[in-house]
Amino acid sequence: MIMSARRWRAALGAAVAATTALALGACGDSKPASSDSLTGTITFWHGYSADAKELKTLREVVIPGFEAKHPGAKVKDVAVKDSDLRQKVLTAAAGSDTPDVLRADIAWVSEMAKLGLLERLDKAMPDFQQYAGQVFPGPLATNKYKGSYFGLPLDTNTRVLMYNADTLAKVGVTEPPKTFDDLRALGDKLAGSHTYVYAEGGLGGWSILPWIWSGGGDITDPNYTKATGYLNSPQSVAAVQMLYDLYKKGEIPNGIVGAGGGMPNDEGLVKGKYATILDGPWMYPIFASKYPDFKLQVAPVPAGPGGSISVVGGEDVVVFKQSKHQALALEFTRYLLSPEVQTAFGKAGQMPVLKDLDFASVNPTFKPFAEQLKTARPRPPVPAWTQMDDVLGKKLQAAFKGQMSVQQALDQAAAEIDTLLAKG
Amino acid sequence: MSTVSTVLRRDSAGARDAAGPGGTRAPRRRRPVRAGRLTPYLLLAPALVLFAIVILIPVVKAVQVSLYEWSPIPGADNTFVGADNYLKAFGDHEFGRDVVNATVYMLVTVPGQIVVGLAVALLLYSRLPGRTLFRVLFYLPVVTSWVVVSLLFRYLFSDEGALNWFLVDVLGVADHPVGWLGSRWTAMVALCTLGIWKGIGWTAVILLAGLQGVPVEHQEAAAVDGAGYLRRVWHVVLPALRRSLLFVTVLLGIGGFQAFIQVLLLTQGGPAGETEMPLTYLYRQAFDYLDFGYGSALAVLMTVVVLAVSVAQTLVFNRLDRGAA
Amino acid sequence: MTMETRRLRRTRYTARLLALTFGAVVLILPFAYMVSTSFKPNILAFDWPPRLIPDHPTLDNYVQAWTANNFGRYFLNSALVACSTTVLTVLGAALAAYAFARFTFPGRTLLFWTMMLGLMVPGVVILIPQFLVAHTLGLTDSLSGLVFFYVGGGVAFNTFLLRGFFERIPGELDESMRIDGAGTMRRFAALYLPMSRPALATSAIFAFLGAWDEYSWAMTVINDPAKNTLPLAIAQFQGAHSTSWGLVFAASLIGMAPVILIYVLGQRHFISGLTSGALKS
Repeated sequence: MIMSARRWRAALGAAVAATTALALGACGDSKPASSDSLTGTITFWHGYSADAKELKTLREVVIPGFEAKHPGAKVKDVAVKDSDLRQKVLTAAAGSDTPDVLRADIAWVSEMAKLGLLERLDKAMPDFQQYAGQVFPGPLATNKYKGSYFGLPLDTNTRVLMYNADTLAKVGVTEPPKTFDDLRALGDKLAGSHTYVYAEGGLGGWSILPWIWSGGGDITDPNYTKATGYLNSPQSVAAVQMLYDLYKKGEIPNGIVGAGGGMPNDEGLVKGKYATILDGPWMYPIFASKYPDFKLQVAPVPAGPGGSISVVGGEDVVVFKQSKHQALALEFTRYLLSPEVQTAFGKAGQMPVLKDLDFASVNPTFKPFAEQLKTARPRPPVPAWTQMDDVLGKKLQAAFKGQMSVQQALDQAAAEIDTLLAKG
Repeated sequence: MSTVSTVLRRDSAGARDAAGPGGTRAPRRRRPVRAGRLTPYLLLAPALVLFAIVILIPVVKAVQVSLYEWSPIPGADNTFVGADNYLKAFGDHEFGRDVVNATVYMLVTVPGQIVVGLAVALLLYSRLPGRTLFRVLFYLPVVTSWVVVSLLFRYLFSDEGALNWFLVDVLGVADHPVGWLGSRWTAMVALCTLGIWKGIGWTAVILLAGLQGVPVEHQEAAAVDGAGYLRRVWHVVLPALRRSLLFVTVLLGIGGFQAFIQVLLLTQGGPAGETEMPLTYLYRQAFDYLDFGYGSALAVLMTVVVLAVSVAQTLVFNRLDRGAA
Repeated sequence: MTMETRRLRRTRYTARLLALTFGAVVLILPFAYMVSTSFKPNILAFDWPPRLIPDHPTLDNYVQAWTANNFGRYFLNSALVACSTTVLTVLGAALAAYAFARFTFPGRTLLFWTMMLGLMVPGVVILIPQFLVAHTLGLTDSLSGLVFFYVGGGVAFNTFLLRGFFERIPGELDESMRIDGAGTMRRFAALYLPMSRPALATSAIFAFLGAWDEYSWAMTVINDPAKNTLPLAIAQFQGAHSTSWGLVFAASLIGMAPVILIYVLGQRHFISGLTSGALKS
């Protein structure tokens, strides 16, 4: 009975406009669901910055909307500086002082699940599959740990190719590079000029995986148990080798090996020092405020033998085991995934996770990212990811500095990552 | 341990020496009768109780953690691993490299801050118009946000930054820009410059307070006029400042070995982790990799090193003390 | 005095002034840049290369910082915490420094170096054990809990600082007061405290600055937004991908005003230290 009431309510939420949903949602609550103790106070920790439009939306639209739907329910939001949120949660967990609901970076979910902090949502939410079916597959996969789901995606992003059309025009190129071959050709055309074909800030997963995946390679097997045979496969090696060759020819600046001091990506693109970069949707407001005259152009990640595959970023929503108001915490989670909330956050600049949302009407700049997200993949959602990422970055830095070949670097990285994966 | 206790005894001897200024050792007197034997403990009690709760108990806990494969989550199974974490540390080349970095950083920034800080303190001490204004100006770096300081240093040392402009276009001593933040030792130059810059104000404030205690008959020596100024600073002012100098040296040494935020903001440990410091590495082990056992073991080792350095510094100062007496 | 020595003196004087001015400029440039950015219209990144003079100066950042989320409340919280911390730290440290400087007793050196050890342990590894202690004592999520931990954390540093100054106070003065029948506390209050005013002022400045600027611990233990201190509120202006630095610096500068004020007030004691205390002896 409770189950069907929730389903009905969720279906309604998806079908009708925000205002109607509010009214009908309130009706739905006078039914049995309210007996499921949807009252009390829950805490919601997040890293929205104090002047962010998202925070305004959260405090003025999202939370009041939820409290209106559920009389007697209160949501207390706690803002923590984004880069310190994880440390605060871990310390709080040591003192059994966790929040009820957390907006967690996608990389934290598996490690927090491993520590036993999180509620299994696919078990606690009878209607979990329905929500799982509405969101992009890449972001959803970041919530999976050992075959179970411990969260749902809240917002997402990915990297696409950003380029400066004027820079390309100077060497007679009118189209952004669509393939690996195009990129190499563009590099050759730019050789000798003061323009780098591509700028990249490192050699870790966020930087390098779009190239490996697009090149038809991978970092591990689909079950995240083994890297050897995937990270050092011919396809993976070829993709990294392409970047290495460009770097050796001086067509990629040394920021890729972690050297500081280079020109920042945004300025380099505007000033024609970098022809292309890969970056996320947050760059739009930055370009708009710093370089109002610059027209940012975007395109999909250049395709290789494996297609055009980018890397997923973003946040998930998770519920803690120790929550004393679990029903309410789960209901708030459902509410955060409703079209009205996703749309409201989308208008504030946070990219929604619902596949079927009309992105063009929410925020036109999201469109290319939504396209790219259809094939984008998450970094392996395993607790050891941070360490794997460091291993990968360090081995490749050694290769780019000429201390070993790309093949050797990836062989060694794969072997070390195998050990890390074996530990779980 | 025996070294420590020798130092400690010397230290208390040094303290008694200092009680009699001007080099005349105060004659040994009977301990006061009226003050009960409990008096010093009662004086210490408030500070010690708070210190024990806030620092000592957590430190003991951290030492315990260093012997385990430890999970911060209550009720988790923690495996006792004995000295494993320590053995791992001794074979950890990255940590070894970071200790070298911190040592270099300490050896450069501690003397740098003291020399410049002392010069500033002496200048500020002398009678000048607008002395209070200058004192405030020189104190501003202490309170200026690390973020903005690091940003400006990043610009100063960037490939197309102010320093390269100065070296290549103005002085012409280099024909092409130096990639300061692109390799280990040039990046360390940037880090050390930042460390000295940020620490001058702090050092000067402490030494300035120390100068106020220079006995009246030596006051004129600190006035900058006249010949033989440096000689008088060396022979009169520095010995009188020795307690403040010891304090500053020990504290800057501790701070130098624990360099953290400047690394995160200026080089992020790059290139390729070559400018990482023990503390940034340790933080990564504990909070990024969730290996709190190993992180704690590294912290214990760091503390032992810092303690040894501080004890050595105290020894040297006590020897100078006796030399001065 | 000949003309020549007078001229020499004037040259030296000018040289000193120039040296100070040059040093001051080098040291305050970043601060000046902070001030300048706080007057720039809100953009999400820094100028590159940095520009000192804003094109279109505005007070918007200050208005927005002050009116955003209860900023006045956070200011008050910080003031309460920092003032209590300063008084308690300086008092506790002065008593302890007095004991270390003027008494010999069993365990003296052991206790002193134990406190010193507290300065040498990297704070990040004891963060979780500290949190457990605070949790057990019910000192999380409260301002008095913050004061408790700030005093406990700062007392070792200030004891070490003050001990050095107390040791320089001539033993003869102590002795003669004792012969006149002054008890332990009397000598502490009438001799050691007044004669150490520059040191106490220095100690107070650092204790205040430490508590006023502290971020990590407050971030760890404070959950209730009504109990935020200023550094927490300022840090919350920083975003994951972009930060409105003008706003952050405007907020920081508002926050720095009391620190500078305390320093200027402390300065007076530096100077008065010249005419009181040691000089009269």
